[in-house]
Amino acid sequence: MSTKQPTSQSDILETPAERRQVALARLIQVLGASGLALVILGTISVVLLRGLVPHQRIVEALESAETLWILLTSLALGIVAVATGFGRFKRMPTKTSRERAIAGGVLGIQALILAAALLAFREAGDPERFVFHFFNFGVLEGYLGLFAWAAVNTLILAFVGQVGGMIIGMMLAFLTLSKRKAVRAPARVYINFFRGTPLIWQLITFYFGFALGLGIRPEIDLGPVAFGPAYTAAMIVFVLNTGAYSSEVFRAGIQSIERGQMEAARSLGMSYLQAMRYAIIPQAVRRVIPPLLNEFVILIKDTSLVVVLGLASSEYELFTLAREGYSDSFNATFFTAAAAGYLVVTLPLIRAVNVVEKRLRSGLVTVAA
Amino acid sequence: MRRRSSLLVLGALLVLLATACAEEPADPEAGGGGETAAPTVPTIQEGVLQVGSCLDYPPFESVEGGDEVGFDVDLAEEIAGRLGLEVEWVRADFDTIFTAVAGQQFDMVAAASTITDERLQTVDFSDPYYNSRQALVVATDSGITSTDDIGEGDRVGVQRGTTGRGYAEEVLEPQGAEIVSFQAAPDAFRDLEAGNLVAVVNDEPSSAEIIEDLPTLTIAQPIDTDERYGFALSKDNPELTEAVNGALAEVVADGAYAEIFERYFPGVEVPPEFQPTA
Repeated sequence: MSTKQPTSQSDILETPAERRQVALARLIQVLGASGLALVILGTISVVLLRGLVPHQRIVEALESAETLWILLTSLALGIVAVATGFGRFKRMPTKTSRERAIAGGVLGIQALILAAALLAFREAGDPERFVFHFFNFGVLEGYLGLFAWAAVNTLILAFVGQVGGMIIGMMLAFLTLSKRKAVRAPARVYINFFRGTPLIWQLITFYFGFALGLGIRPEIDLGPVAFGPAYTAAMIVFVLNTGAYSSEVFRAGIQSIERGQMEAARSLGMSYLQAMRYAIIPQAVRRVIPPLLNEFVILIKDTSLVVVLGLASSEYELFTLAREGYSDSFNATFFTAAAAGYLVVTLPLIRAVNVVEKRLRSGLVTVAA
Repeated sequence: MRRRSSLLVLGALLVLLATACAEEPADPEAGGGGETAAPTVPTIQEGVLQVGSCLDYPPFESVEGGDEVGFDVDLAEEIAGRLGLEVEWVRADFDTIFTAVAGQQFDMVAAASTITDERLQTVDFSDPYYNSRQALVVATDSGITSTDDIGEGDRVGVQRGTTGRGYAEEVLEPQGAEIVSFQAAPDAFRDLEAGNLVAVVNDEPSSAEIIEDLPTLTIAQPIDTDERYGFALSKDNPELTEAVNGALAEVVADGAYAEIFERYFPGVEVPPEFQPTA
């Protein structure tokens, strides 16, 4: 009889029956995962192998026999995974194998739902009509370069807005933290105004209203690079708007640093400003970066609102280009392309935000690791 | 405990209030049908002709004092009346209006729409009901008298999805102009007024109306592009298209068309194909 502590799963298991259960759990997980992988990757592979252009090829791929087999198989895998996973997880000997069984069951549910939905779409729906309107990549011919350029415009608008907004935001945050009400109040008014009115209203009013009412026609001409009035007005509005939101982020970041830090710095002989610069702000920066990055991701999508302004074709960002293409061709594949464009731009950024957040969190005590 | 139950009572009261206020207005079907002996035409909602329009394009369609007015408005309502239908106006953006009617979001489009081959691939058009020209609108003091004066770097405003934009791209862009597209026609005119644009290319009658009260703008040159307006209808409803065409012919023949034409284009002669024959 060994009395040493169990160091691995195999030590805890004592009977062959238990070992079988554990192996079964692993199998269930594999079944569920492969069912889901099959329905997603399998269908996509069949479509890609047949070709994406012209759109009839996609329809043929979806209605083909291979796809039917894939869907039925993954449906079967899903059902088996669900049945065995949810039926047996309670009897699993170890926690790991229980989790595996449940995971297999959940994956099985997903595989089941997807496969069933695709089957229903195939049989009862109208794949031809759907693919013609949304995945008709033929109509995008010649637009690839335009979309790439439009993505650049989207990024320029968002980047300028974010950087300018952060500068304004920092200054505003200090104003809102002042002891003097006469200093706080105008800052508050500005912030409340830009947070309280819709961004689309701000864009339209600034562009159309100012140009007509005040005769202000913003334009930037740097020789090789020129921004027309609509583009410039949009950049200005994004800077002002982001400034209001960023200032709240900065203020919250600064205020989240405990009073003790300020007191300690002051007691070392630093003035208020020195304490801010050397003790408070460096710590606040860490807290402030994730929400600011978040703000940037949101701003990238808000740039689509410039569709209501008058942009020249070289100034189009993703959504305006899609809208123009749609009104010319009457085909919504342009919107599919715009979505892809936005995702290509935002997903890596969201990933980066998560990585930065994790790295900044290490060292601070948090609720969930 | 007490707080939870009073919340429940409050919630129930709110729900009751909401359902009471959400009562459907008087059933349109009750009023529309049965007035004439005309056979009922298939529409999305029985007895009602839902007409999509941008409603910001005088003199064809606009809103004044809460009511829809304009040449298209009066003509569409006259046609609907002949078919025993009541018109319900639906505001829609022009650059997506054809896909909207093709998708049956409304029965018909009355938005000063030129009949083009590209549009015919998505929608059906009624018979033509208006002959139109484009116009080159400029600032009065710009000295521009024709499209030849539009050159390198000049910003020309157009409305997205219009034949005016097509013309600007085909003729003016090769001359070096920069085409600036707007969601709505009035926006382009505002930009021209503000000095951001050198010119605007837009339908002539609408342009004339819009700049009537703006002495700083003028039509430099009318552009003949052999365009005709039609009502756009869904391809899935050929019976409605046929019925509309029949009613339109009737309206032209008995002089109602000429009356509406004179109301909105005073002093202009009714084109021969639209003269009454009665």
